[in-house]
Amino acid sequence: MTPISIASPMAIPPSIDALQIALDRVRRERLRSLLVMLGTLLVLGTMLPWLANAYWTKTFSSALALSVAAAGVGLLYGQLGLVSLCQFALLGVGGWVALRISHGSGLPFELCVLAAGLVSALVGMLAGLPALRLKGLYLALVTLMLAGGFQVVITVVGFPDGGPGWLGRVEGGERLLMARPAVATSDSAYLRYVVLWLAAVLALIELHRRTRAGRSWALIRRGEAAALGAGVNVLLYQTWAFALAGFCAGVGGALLAGGVGQLDGRAFGASESVMLFALSVVGGVYHWLGAIIAGLLLRAVPALLTDFNVNGFLAMVFFGAALLHALITAQEGVAGQVLSLLHRVRARWTAGSAP
Amino acid sequence: MIVISNLTVQFGGVKALTQLDAVLDHPVCGLIGPNGAGKTTLVNVLSGLVQPRTGHIAVDGTDLLALTPTQRVRFGLRRSFQTEQVVEDLDVWSNVLAMLDHVPHERAGAKAEVGRVIDYVGLAPVATVLGARLNLFQRRMVEVAKALVGAPRLLLFDEPGAGLTEQEAVFLRRALLGIQDFCGAQVLLIDHDVDLIKATCTQTLVLDFGQRLALGPTQQVLEDPAVRRAYLGTEE
Repeated sequence: MTPISIASPMAIPPSIDALQIALDRVRRERLRSLLVMLGTLLVLGTMLPWLANAYWTKTFSSALALSVAAAGVGLLYGQLGLVSLCQFALLGVGGWVALRISHGSGLPFELCVLAAGLVSALVGMLAGLPALRLKGLYLALVTLMLAGGFQVVITVVGFPDGGPGWLGRVEGGERLLMARPAVATSDSAYLRYVVLWLAAVLALIELHRRTRAGRSWALIRRGEAAALGAGVNVLLYQTWAFALAGFCAGVGGALLAGGVGQLDGRAFGASESVMLFALSVVGGVYHWLGAIIAGLLLRAVPALLTDFNVNGFLAMVFFGAALLHALITAQEGVAGQVLSLLHRVRARWTAGSAP
Repeated sequence: MIVISNLTVQFGGVKALTQLDAVLDHPVCGLIGPNGAGKTTLVNVLSGLVQPRTGHIAVDGTDLLALTPTQRVRFGLRRSFQTEQVVEDLDVWSNVLAMLDHVPHERAGAKAEVGRVIDYVGLAPVATVLGARLNLFQRRMVEVAKALVGAPRLLLFDEPGAGLTEQEAVFLRRALLGIQDFCGAQVLLIDHDVDLIKATCTQTLVLDFGQRLALGPTQQVLEDPAVRRAYLGTEE
């Protein structure tokens, strides 16, 4: 078939050469934004252990481990518009698996983290099954019920701490700590190690967003009819997103377990999943920076208040106001506002330096 | 060629289509009728979003109803919606590529194919612009580009000219007329713009209350007194 030429009503005539130049520019911009992401994390990984004292080093490790899980929340909500309120429970699943494997088999830490991610991905897929039928509030409620179920189970079962049996619980003896990776035994080194995992997970998500999966998720978010009309296998891509988000949560849980050495079942209430979701929205679900901000809000803000001898629970008031602000006026979250500010500064700088 | 036989679609107690029979064998066919006539329902049945109660549909000899919606897309069926479905945070290029992702194509030729289609609909200058920044005309043309990419066989356009200015409608008309030469696909066009139907479609099916009112050469159909009474609102 011979292509025909149609005169464009637009001012600039169509040109494949111009198109190629524009596409090359977009590719460069995307590569640059990926490098900015990795550079930011490199700076964080270098500066935080150097600047922070022992207390804050541990706090930042926990915060960035939670950022890994928040990245999964952002993936589901930002890419697909799905509200999953069981991501903190999946973080607990990951922590349980990592502790169990580490105490039970002594496998290298990295394998424990990967196993935690994979098991949480599987559980995340199962948790996502209702998403094939439910949306919005109903999906949120069902996933919240799952988080409630996990809370009940983990309160009874507890996290493994080096004991015998399938559950690996110590009864009446000394609880063992999970062994950290050989390259990151100190708190400072472990913080850098967490940053490396965070960089890997964020890069994995960015890779998805920029390729076929991301485009398919965008079509599903636009509307299921539009996705079906484009030939998207909605079941496959939604399940894939839930699995990836579960993987993020599992990795976050394993890193959290490695940082603290033990996990407490009481810290994995269903309300934590709600808080993780809310702060992911406040941080911003459309950009990788949002996940980092969400993790810091979850752990660093209460710690900061404690540092100033203010009750950490006051953070809830601050979070509530921030969520209201994000929902009403800043739907791209704090990350969106930071990026917007940076763009404005850059534009002014460019305008100022122009002849 | 689309062969529709004894097609009935029912929503609860309402019959949207009743025992419809039609053979659409022209390169560009029109589908017109008053609001609620069953036009979009027919397109939804063709694309697999609605299951008929009875009937058969064959496209180029293939039993369409035996295929799932995604299989129909792979088969070569494309559709646009009354409300355009451009993804706002993807640029024009990615919007079209998202369509190509799910149809059979040569990986090495994907870039050239998307570029060819975007150039055809005149969107090359805005190929890297986000969907959110496009005007209505550009969004409509993205929908045309999405339909054209990846060797389509049958294109279903549901009111692609809605809201366009006269000049933009002329451009759309020329694009639709060129499709047969561009990719060889058959076009089924729903629109309320009779001038657009007249200018592009050589065969037209008219529906009224879910039933076939007329089918034949467009000019002849538009002059049919029954069609004029039901659709154009003209006194005899």
